[in-house]
Amino acid sequence: MSVAIVGSGLAGFTAYQTLRRGGLEPGEIAVFGTDADPAAVWRQRAAAIRQREMRSESDGHCLPTSFPGLSFRASVRRRSPAPLLASLADRFHPTVEEFLAHVARLRERSGWERSLVPARIGRARAVDGGFELDGHGVFAHVLVAPGHPGLNVPDELRGDPRVVHSYEPHDYAPTVTVVGAGLAAATEWLNALAAGSEVVSVRRREPLRLPLNVPREYFSRRGLAPFHRLGPEERAARLRALLAPSYPPGRQFDEPLERAAAEGRFRVDASVNGSAQVICATGFLRGYASDPLLARLVDEHELVTHDDWIVLDPDGAVPALSDGTRTLALAGAPAQWAHPAADTLAGAKYVAHGFLRRVKACRTR
Amino acid sequence: MSYTLRGRVESRLGALVAVVAAALVLTAAEHRWWPVEAVGLMLGVGLALDVVVYDRAFRYQPGWAAVPLGALELGALVGLMHAAGVAAPLWQAVALFAGGWLVAQLLGHAAFPLVRLGYAEDGGELGRYGVAAAAAVGLALAGAGATAYAQLPPVVHLAAGVHQGPLVITRREVLEGRRGAVVRGGIVVRANDVTIKNVIVVGGVNGITVDGPHGTVLDHVTVSGAQLDGIHVRGAAVMIHDCAIDMLGNRYGQGIDISYTMGYGMSMVDGCTIVGGMEGIATHVSMTEIAHNQVSRTSMNAISMTEMSMGTIRQNDVQSALGVGIYCNDRSMCDIDRNTVVGTRPDGSQDPARRGFGILASFQSEADVRDNELEANPVPMGSVTNSLIRR
Repeated sequence: MSVAIVGSGLAGFTAYQTLRRGGLEPGEIAVFGTDADPAAVWRQRAAAIRQREMRSESDGHCLPTSFPGLSFRASVRRRSPAPLLASLADRFHPTVEEFLAHVARLRERSGWERSLVPARIGRARAVDGGFELDGHGVFAHVLVAPGHPGLNVPDELRGDPRVVHSYEPHDYAPTVTVVGAGLAAATEWLNALAAGSEVVSVRRREPLRLPLNVPREYFSRRGLAPFHRLGPEERAARLRALLAPSYPPGRQFDEPLERAAAEGRFRVDASVNGSAQVICATGFLRGYASDPLLARLVDEHELVTHDDWIVLDPDGAVPALSDGTRTLALAGAPAQWAHPAADTLAGAKYVAHGFLRRVKACRTR
Repeated sequence: MSYTLRGRVESRLGALVAVVAAALVLTAAEHRWWPVEAVGLMLGVGLALDVVVYDRAFRYQPGWAAVPLGALELGALVGLMHAAGVAAPLWQAVALFAGGWLVAQLLGHAAFPLVRLGYAEDGGELGRYGVAAAAAVGLALAGAGATAYAQLPPVVHLAAGVHQGPLVITRREVLEGRRGAVVRGGIVVRANDVTIKNVIVVGGVNGITVDGPHGTVLDHVTVSGAQLDGIHVRGAAVMIHDCAIDMLGNRYGQGIDISYTMGYGMSMVDGCTIVGGMEGIATHVSMTEIAHNQVSRTSMNAISMTEMSMGTIRQNDVQSALGVGIYCNDRSMCDIDRNTVVGTRPDGSQDPARRGFGILASFQSEADVRDNELEANPVPMGSVTNSLIRR
């Protein structure tokens, strides 16, 4: 076995599908993770914020190709062109149930379980012929997809008994303060209002309204090529701008919020006040230093970093650890240096394609 | 999709491969070059819009935009074909474009992403497939262009001055007259694919005779003094554009007589001016489109579609005909549309069909008439002997 994926979440799962499409058999791939269900963590988070619809569109799936997308499958299943037509207008968003069913089908038929090694990898170390993974052997090509290192709670709110993170299971008190300005925050505003709560939104800036996590051109070479040409300072600055919280434009958010504001049940405030409950929709811990595996990788191999990010090649590979005979690449949020939306399904696919190219180009595989 | 410029061009070329192949097949089947010319223009329009407009205007192009952009490209294509004089049947050209558009959508949304994992994230770029597509399209169009060029008929320039005829053309050629080039004694076409342009013909049994050969085009010819017909066509389809025929003093000849051409394809008489003669434009057993002509002072019928003929008579200007202006006769089917017929006169005979009809359908014929202006005709419109006029 020469190829390993560290992490059994959606990014690792997407990479696995890509490798399978590239001709690798399940026996040639080892997937290290603690949960056989690649959607397990994501499912809990989606359930916590009562998410019903994906932000992603038709190609928000784990298959290696954009076609057939989820809109095509929905059209076939519903015997209706409506999903396809909606997709042409970028208005198709699969439901969470549809997405999870897609993951389950794919998991069943792709041999995922045969490749899964139930283990948490705490260390990846470059050795002759590849990378040694915590006593599980040496692999020439390793994709590290560790997922988010943890939930982010602002320092000033740590220890406050009223605080719950949006991605933790919770109900809604009669008065709720939601901290944050991204999709999770917007979803929580609506959830709390629907539960009859009075809602206060606390945020550092006015939220951006974007259909997807980043402007659409960053999902293709059109936006990525200029991004990759930026120097480290400019690229870090661009990343910080691109990763600012946002949620999609649309009446589904605007109308209930306007109605609630008119009724005096929704307002924006500068700081957390006396609400009975504080929901932190503040996303995840950021940066390689928050992830023990990545922090150790950087330390042991003196990898080049910039701010929170490990400096990567455009395809997500770590330059100092990748050459014609071996590859160490990152996927998910740690790969944002290569793809600003690396923590989305499209970003996971992008990195997976690059990883497959490297694996297939290696003569010693 | 957020296309890169290269991605746009490669996706377009990749999709065009199938269209070029279809055009080559169509060209071979029809023995006409318009499909290749149309595809060449299609490519030119598309690439120009890609480089000049689309790449700058669209950082991201949603799927639905293909519909209005396709309509824009179709409009530009039809306009350019008209301007470049590409003689294509409109519905076939539109069908070729629509087929190409559909193929492009299917390839862009389904086939290319399936074949190339990173198609979307590469901005539509196809890598070596794109280079191969560019080479294939380029080679096919260049090859077709070279073949067409090699097959172009030789151009024979007729010098200014009077040339004694009859001039008999026995090979495929373009006979192009310099200003003031005159053939005295008529021209006889005996070869296929002959074009006669800018030539003045004086005298002759017929001014120009086309008896059998196909593919004849008469463009800006002037005929006068013919003993029988100005232009005499038998057993062949012809294209006659912008001619001038003077038949004054000729009691029995026709300005243009196209007869017994059914089965040889559609003929066209467009933009001609005909004065005098027994009939200005006459068709027998033929399919003909007669449009934008001026016919005056004829002694029997100005425009006559007769003897089981079919066709369109539209936007012609008929003046001072004796007997009948526009005549649909003898089991013919005529579409008579937006013509002007003024000042038809009765011929003084006892024949009730010669009472000065603006439009007359006769002997089991069917005429569909629309929006004609009929002024100062003793009988504006009528039908006799079991004929039908539908308005």
